Amino acid sequence: MIKIKNLKASIEDKDILKGIDLDIPKGEIHVIMGRNGSGKSTLANVIAGNEAYEVDGGSIEMNGDDITEMSIENRALQGLFLCFQYPVAIPGVSMAYFLRAALNAKNKHDGKEEMDAVEFLTRAKKILSELGLDDSFLKRSINDGFSGGEKKKSEILQLLMLNPQLAVLDETDSGLDVDALRTVAKGVNEFKNGDNSVLIITHYQRLLEYIKPDVVHIMIDGKIVKSGDMTLVHEVEKNGYAWLAK
Amino acid sequence: MLKKIQQDSHDKFEALGYPSKKLENWKFSPSNHLKKYSSKNLDQSNFSIEKYSDKYTLCFINGELATESLNHFIYKDSITILDIGELEDNSICSTSSNFEKEAFFHLGLSTVKTGKYFEFHKGVKFENPIKIINIYNKSDKNLRISSFNIFKLNEGNDISIIEKDVNEGSGSFNLNLNKFICPDNTILNHSMLYDDKTESNYLGYNYYDLGKSVLLNIDSMNINSNFNKNFIEVDLNKEGSEAKINILNLARGDQHLDNNILMNHNAEHCISFQNVRNILDDQATCVFNGKVIVSQGAQKTDSNQSNKNLLLSNSATAHSNPQLEIYADDVKCGHGSTTGALDKESIFYLRARGINEQDANNILIKAFAKEILEEFFDDDIRNLSEDNLNHWIDG
Repeated sequence: MIKIKNLKASIEDKDILKGIDLDIPKGEIHVIMGRNGSGKSTLANVIAGNEAYEVDGGSIEMNGDDITEMSIENRALQGLFLCFQYPVAIPGVSMAYFLRAALNAKNKHDGKEEMDAVEFLTRAKKILSELGLDDSFLKRSINDGFSGGEKKKSEILQLLMLNPQLAVLDETDSGLDVDALRTVAKGVNEFKNGDNSVLIITHYQRLLEYIKPDVVHIMIDGKIVKSGDMTLVHEVEKNGYAWLAK
Repeated sequence: MLKKIQQDSHDKFEALGYPSKKLENWKFSPSNHLKKYSSKNLDQSNFSIEKYSDKYTLCFINGELATESLNHFIYKDSITILDIGELEDNSICSTSSNFEKEAFFHLGLSTVKTGKYFEFHKGVKFENPIKIINIYNKSDKNLRISSFNIFKLNEGNDISIIEKDVNEGSGSFNLNLNKFICPDNTILNHSMLYDDKTESNYLGYNYYDLGKSVLLNIDSMNINSNFNKNFIEVDLNKEGSEAKINILNLARGDQHLDNNILMNHNAEHCISFQNVRNILDDQATCVFNGKVIVSQGAQKTDSNQSNKNLLLSNSATAHSNPQLEIYADDVKCGHGSTTGALDKESIFYLRARGINEQDANNILIKAFAKEILEEFFDDDIRNLSEDNLNHWIDG
């Protein structure tokens, strides 16, 4: 699904990613764990094409296409989805308008008809109900006045509506209480199937109690220093990251 | 009586001279180009208002009421309409002491051909807004056209007025003076819509005199104006009144937009809101001079003043000057001003969902404007303004 080779990136002349290699095949869930400042969120942003970051070397391939230089929106249209760590509030733009604009852009790109209002509402309401959100959520402005939990649920709503090929979850578990965490995890599990992939970026293992990853990567100082299975998560929980940095 | 007032105004204009950059209200406003315009007698007897006229509309042609628009005007029996010259009481023409310091106010007043006085009969409430269409039909170049109208409400009135300018022919300098008298227990909604493609210049002086328990809404949207400067002054003279002002201005090219608002809280328990947003592209400029004065006895005043400017180009300039003068000690007053470009994080967020950059920008521009438009009191005006906004964005 996605192949990252020797990816290097910086922001304001500060090197953050120092040669990332990552291969996530179709149908797998991968996790990247690491301390604050190790470059995890930078990786998520660079994959999504955030222009605040400079790509200094390496490449990102998605389904065989080099997307390293591709625009943000074209990556999204190719099937990439970033679940934001800090979703931005946009007063004056309703969730319904936003979701329809995003769906219409995707359908147009895929050569499909625009989704009609009835189909849109039926689908949105079903997902809202599963996420424990009221239908009126669609009338609210994007992330404006949302609680921490609502913001993350809003990201999951978008994920399930847009149904991308690769979901990158950037600290989606941060700031959530247990109930909200379960709801979010349920949403991710519902999204997951054999044809798509998930990259989870997190500090803690608590989300991994609900979502079982195929591969776990540890990131330190802009590089992936170790990869393994769930036992690596338990080792990090027990011993921290210091032993991996050596 | 009007002649005497006009002579006084003429003398005052001569004494004041054209405004200079030294004056606070004109510091950032280009005005030299306005000197070339002059007043002339126009023959408009052959002008047909047919395409503008309907039963809710009063048409003014080059500042004068077209009497034939009264023929079908549905509310004419509920309004006394007189020439200002027929009024015996001089004081009814007096406006703000601040306008008295304005040279262009006097220039306008001294050159008005005939002003109108509209008095709404006691208790009258109109179901539909009155539309006032100011038609500027100019074959001559460098023409200055002045108008002066007084609208007097009476107790129990609930009146909505939608004022719209229609510019035809070549560009002119339109000087528009209005006074609104709102006694106790009245409601006035006043909308102003400016959409001009003739490179005309608009200068407005609008004065509102409020009694007890008055509700005043002022909504304004401005696009395609070459130069548009509007003075709005509200006197909250008795307790329990509320004044809300919502203004949206859009400018591009070398256009200049200018709002000068003074809210005088002269009595206790009054509320006022000023909400002015400007969207500027290219080399466009705007000015916001907003002031709230809370006088000594005006306890329990609740006032808020907000000016937000969205700059779509590095060459656009916004001058914002929100001011509070508070002489009472038990009041709630706030003000704020922001000027900036479209938020990059918001653009990234939208693009990350597959929305292209241009569409993302447009969504954010509309969202910025929508927060003002949602406050407009009239549904039709809100919808029309949204259409205007969409056309403007599409270029």
